[in-house]
Amino acid sequence: MKNDNLIKAAENLVAFGRKKGADQIEVSIGEGNEFSLDVRQGEVERLVEAGSKGLSLRLFVAGKMARASSSDLSKETLEKLVENAIERAKLSSADPFAGLPEKEAITADTDKLKMWDPAILEMSPEMKIAAAKKTEKICLSEPRVKKCFGASYGTYTGETFLVSSNGFTGSYKRTACSSGVYLQAGEEPNLFDEGWGDSSRILANLESPEEIAAKAIHRVTRLIGAKKVETQNVPVVVESPMTAGLLSFLFNCINGTSIYLKQSFLEGKIGEIIGSDLVTVTDDGLIPGAAGTKPFDGEGVPTRKTVVIENGILKSYLMDTYSAKKLGMKSTGNSSGPNNFYLAAGTSKPEDIIKSVDKGLFLTGTIGFGMVPTTGDISRGAFGLWIEKGELAYPVAEITISGNLGQLLKGIEMVGDDVKFKDSITGPTIKVAEMTIGGK
Amino acid sequence: MMYDMNRRDFLKKSGAGLAAGIASSLWFDLLAHGKIPSLSSGLFEERFGVSPEDMRKILEIALSKGGEFSELFFEYRILNSVRMEEDIIKDSSENVSLGVGIRVLKGLQTGYGYTDDLSFEKMKQTALTAAAIAAGMSGVSVAKLQENKLKTQTYDMMSPFADVNLASKVELVKEAYNAAKSYDGRITKVQASLVDEIQYVTIANSEGLLISDVRPQVRLVATATAQDKGIRNTGNGNAGGRVGLGFYKNTLTPTQIGKRAGEEAITLLSAVDPPAGEQPVVLGSFQSGVMVHEAVGHPFEADGNRKKTSIFWDKMGTQVANPTVTIYDDPTIPNLRGSLNIDDEGTIPKKTMLIEKGKLVGYLQDRLSAKLMGMEMNGHGRRQSYQNNPIPRMANTVLAPGDATPEDVIKSVKKGFFAETYQGGEVNDSGKFTFSVNKGYLIEDGKLTKPVKNATLIGTNVQILNEVEMIANDTQFFLGTCGKDGQSAPVTAGTPTLKLRQMTVGGRK
Repeated sequence: MKNDNLIKAAENLVAFGRKKGADQIEVSIGEGNEFSLDVRQGEVERLVEAGSKGLSLRLFVAGKMARASSSDLSKETLEKLVENAIERAKLSSADPFAGLPEKEAITADTDKLKMWDPAILEMSPEMKIAAAKKTEKICLSEPRVKKCFGASYGTYTGETFLVSSNGFTGSYKRTACSSGVYLQAGEEPNLFDEGWGDSSRILANLESPEEIAAKAIHRVTRLIGAKKVETQNVPVVVESPMTAGLLSFLFNCINGTSIYLKQSFLEGKIGEIIGSDLVTVTDDGLIPGAAGTKPFDGEGVPTRKTVVIENGILKSYLMDTYSAKKLGMKSTGNSSGPNNFYLAAGTSKPEDIIKSVDKGLFLTGTIGFGMVPTTGDISRGAFGLWIEKGELAYPVAEITISGNLGQLLKGIEMVGDDVKFKDSITGPTIKVAEMTIGGK
Repeated sequence: MMYDMNRRDFLKKSGAGLAAGIASSLWFDLLAHGKIPSLSSGLFEERFGVSPEDMRKILEIALSKGGEFSELFFEYRILNSVRMEEDIIKDSSENVSLGVGIRVLKGLQTGYGYTDDLSFEKMKQTALTAAAIAAGMSGVSVAKLQENKLKTQTYDMMSPFADVNLASKVELVKEAYNAAKSYDGRITKVQASLVDEIQYVTIANSEGLLISDVRPQVRLVATATAQDKGIRNTGNGNAGGRVGLGFYKNTLTPTQIGKRAGEEAITLLSAVDPPAGEQPVVLGSFQSGVMVHEAVGHPFEADGNRKKTSIFWDKMGTQVANPTVTIYDDPTIPNLRGSLNIDDEGTIPKKTMLIEKGKLVGYLQDRLSAKLMGMEMNGHGRRQSYQNNPIPRMANTVLAPGDATPEDVIKSVKKGFFAETYQGGEVNDSGKFTFSVNKGYLIEDGKLTKPVKNATLIGTNVQILNEVEMIANDTQFFLGTCGKDGQSAPVTAGTPTLKLRQMTVGGRK
């Protein structure tokens, strides 16, 4: 099926659903092409190339919802799925909050959002292979690197179509490219794994093999010789990628679904001070060229800029149509999750933040799960560098960090100026007043 | 007459007529009268018109650029879910996944392509893409495809969920929901869901293999939130496997699953923070299989050992654990979440010993690693879907029981920590792991005393293998979904209650 036919297929299915008894129906189709490769020891170890399509639909009968999806886009399968969904919806419960959003016009100029870079399409497989090989070669030329788990390179192009019985029809195209490498350093039994990867919608903004290799080498070799420290409470400097991890937990705590289900410690806290005045957190789906940029969300609601926390005060949740109705609010265009969800940059240089700490942890990585939205409690395995008198003194590993997101947000004392929009959730280096380190 | 039509036409014409029966499964007719179709490649031929001859041609095209081995993985999967929340059935869904993955191997190299379009032209194009990994003339020809019919059945096919109507599924969900909600007045929220799927696979390769499998999978989950005096906690209950409706009638009822969630949430209301630092740790049998899976399963997967990234790559035949420790992976245990008739490369799996009395004796193999390492395949090549190449994975991983009773194990600890349920765990290639314990207990003077929340266990796999001091006889299996290289796979892991001499517990004190 050609792309211009996909929108027609979606429109036909919407009409079919209405004819068969759905009060409302929404159909989205994603079409994409994936190219990815791994290089190890100078050879292409794995190369994947494929095109795929998928359709998903939601429909409502008398306030009762049912969903379906398929990678088989044959007409008979899709129509059968609609018929089954209508029958299933009847067995569901009526929900006064269920339904599609009102149609809203998309005002964003898709071209200005810079989601599409033709240079990514024009890249030959040989160029991608060469980039991954170069990254690996630089890493292996560093004597302290014991092993390379492989260097990867990938590109993606895709188009999303959405047709809804409320009259909405829309589509947008996106490209992406990514590259990364993962390394091991140290001596048995004290081995360390670390790496670095970068991704971008625009080829020119992707870090070069030299940059990626240098960052990966730095990240793994700085852990060599890591030891445990005593159990204690200390200030923690959170490196930028780890701040993103905390923000992803924050997203779980401020998304409308967690709120209406009362599964978040931030439920009912709109207007209250929940963080230090250095904390301003925003979701913005319209930042040109950023990872999470898109003109509309999965329900056809236009994306926008929503300030979630302003100078420490909780201003808004991030909602889809359903959770917004449940909360008596309006959708913020977040039915597909975070768009570009970020902690706004502060004024401090990351090195000055480290200098400000007499004794504490520079957190560079975590492993494991352990973040509970109902309480905000955090408890994870961690590694990083120990700070003594403002200097990075020695690496630490096999420790745990624990604390509580609520206390942590209030305890943010410094915010770095190093925010990059390479991932849909992002933030700068920050300093947190205190967390518990579990060690010896 | 309907009986004279071939199945493809029949389905095209069935449309509205059959749907009136509220078939909860899209292709209800395939499963009529509770009979799963025979395990043959017929499905993809009858339904999608892909004959064994087409398969052979595509395998040949895949080898045309000099590949040494080619393989087709056809998959057709139907997944259904029902979810209850806020006292109403909020959502149900039906998800169809159809496609073929084409793999070409040459030496260490893998070329992979996939498509959701099973037309000959599209498969040919995909085969050529995968073939491009190799460069040169074809030296290998495709053997005649010989259908291999399975003789054993590892799944419970007595009352498959694909054959259960939606109304009955809704009843199961409601029963679990209500059991959790009514467990205690302090339960404020409950969610319950049932997810069932049926996966048809047919695998053909250039060595002449042609084999098929039909795999059921179901899971009923209840999550309860309890609230009291500003404290909120969640508890979970879940059960399932490659089983049918009978499982929830005879083995574990939705009521029991719901109660478990309620009980955990309520117990956690009075839980204390863990005592941080190194201490003796007892792993309870209920869910500590996750530790066995993460900490001592992953390092024995062949790929990490072949690439020398696992710390055990040069330890074959040597003592890597305390002599009390025996660990194996057995996909042939019937009806478990990780059980398999064949793996995703068509290999019939074997119970595979990994550690025998502390000695490393085996790795979990897929085709590529087994060939490159000169070892035998043992049926552990798995993939998430037709969109992924197979990699060595666990299925049902077991730490063998000892002689002690669980009570003896706890009694032997003066002061320590008991881990009962988990939120998850992770291990990196160097063997460092972290587990988040949802519910644990303090051990004081040989007894479980206060419940503990928010604990983290941290250590290395070498440490866990060497610090096992006492092993009980009460094996239980934990249901999990394992993630590796961006692919997820259903697994279980079983362990009895056991004691670790010393382990780091992270907490907030």
